[in-house]
Amino acid sequence: MTKILGYERENGHIGVRNHVLIIPLDDLSNSAATGVESLIKGTRAIPHPYGRLQFGPDLELMFKTLAGFGRNPNVAGAVVIGIEQNWTQEIADRIAKTGKHVEALSIEGSGDLKTIEKASRIAKSMVQDATEKPRREYDLSSLLISTKCGESDTTSGLASNPTIGALYDRLVAEGNTLLLGETSELTGAEAHIANQMATPALKLKFQKMFDDYTKEITRQGADLLGSQPTQGNIKGGLSTIEEKALGNIQKAGKSKFVDVLDYAEEPTKKGLNYMNTSSAAAECVTLFAAAGAVVHLFTTGQGNIIGNPIIPVIKLSANPKTVATMSEHIDLDVSGLLRFEYDLKEAADRLYKLVVKTASGRLTANEVLRHFEFVPTKLYISA
Amino acid sequence: MARKFLVHARRDQVGVAVADILKGEEVEGTFMDDGSKVTVKSQDEVPLGHKIALMEIGKGQKVIEYGEEIGVATAGIPKGSHVHVHNIKSMRWGSS
Repeated sequence: MTKILGYERENGHIGVRNHVLIIPLDDLSNSAATGVESLIKGTRAIPHPYGRLQFGPDLELMFKTLAGFGRNPNVAGAVVIGIEQNWTQEIADRIAKTGKHVEALSIEGSGDLKTIEKASRIAKSMVQDATEKPRREYDLSSLLISTKCGESDTTSGLASNPTIGALYDRLVAEGNTLLLGETSELTGAEAHIANQMATPALKLKFQKMFDDYTKEITRQGADLLGSQPTQGNIKGGLSTIEEKALGNIQKAGKSKFVDVLDYAEEPTKKGLNYMNTSSAAAECVTLFAAAGAVVHLFTTGQGNIIGNPIIPVIKLSANPKTVATMSEHIDLDVSGLLRFEYDLKEAADRLYKLVVKTASGRLTANEVLRHFEFVPTKLYISA
Repeated sequence: MARKFLVHARRDQVGVAVADILKGEEVEGTFMDDGSKVTVKSQDEVPLGHKIALMEIGKGQKVIEYGEEIGVATAGIPKGSHVHVHNIKSMRWGSS
């Protein structure tokens, strides 16, 4: 059994980073949250433009996203700051269910400066407590891992996505829990994913989710042909959404899907899980991190540079031009596959080793370059 | 001869360039499913990542890659020519 050096949280989940997270509930609280981040070493704030006058399923998804980041095993402790008390406390309560240290502060009645001071004192202790925790050996199979592709081109479908597929097959066999999403980018290949569902009930659930998405596009009267494939995709040689989708699904590998999850829903079954997500890179990775993913594998053709505030995003590319011109963003060069220098198994082995190193503390390109995109998915307008 | 493209599946009508292909160049490709070879003389420049036609594809005919339909030809595509948005289009999202 392969081991990694990680952190066990109070609920038994294994993380690979040890962040103290400063979570603004709403847009108004971004200043206080980033204020704390700038004062206290070892903290990370996740500013965002929402959290006010949301309602219904859209509000619930916002709560799930914010609380999910606090609950993520890569987070040691969290301070939630909101303008009002109720929703702020709601987020803190959901995080507290994991057993980790969380505090909620509201700005009304005290202002930004007093709030920043109070939050900073709490965060200072949290950081000191977190740094006391040593990395210990855990099974690689205990990690929740997710994948997504971005700025794809035909090299994604030929090489980098099949590398993920081969790795996913191996990780499923070893007992990992894995996530795949990107509903819009299945268009033209959705039947393949439907046929990979473990049971007829899951197949129906998946088909309904895909049909609902298609209906939503129709309801908006939109033609996605202008945005899918993207200009970057087309430059890279992808001509149609069908071609892009057939390349995209190479990441799934050959395992059966054991569950179909809603946005940011935490998986409960080991093996390959499908999650409904947007195909926009930062939104998708944000949803995976909110569901508890601790490492993300991201393939790119033309050079997507995305990161995430709490989970390392390992980027691989098989496009020799991208690997040469954007080398600082690429963690693993698999362009040798296109030159027949090694096979898919070898490429997947290299990625496996990099996952182990990254999980054990090696920083990814996105972490060193401070690419910390946090983009909650919004379902509809606010009130 | 330069090994310059890959073909996903046996029944595919297009190969994908893994290096820039020059106009008039005789290039060799490899089928990814069984490792067999195919050669074609390029009629156009085909940049890395772009597709080259392995056979003539008639206007209105479905285009096959990954062993699947990836779109429909909007113009006649001679063998060896560049296959992209100028001569094929999606069959999804109201594009008919």
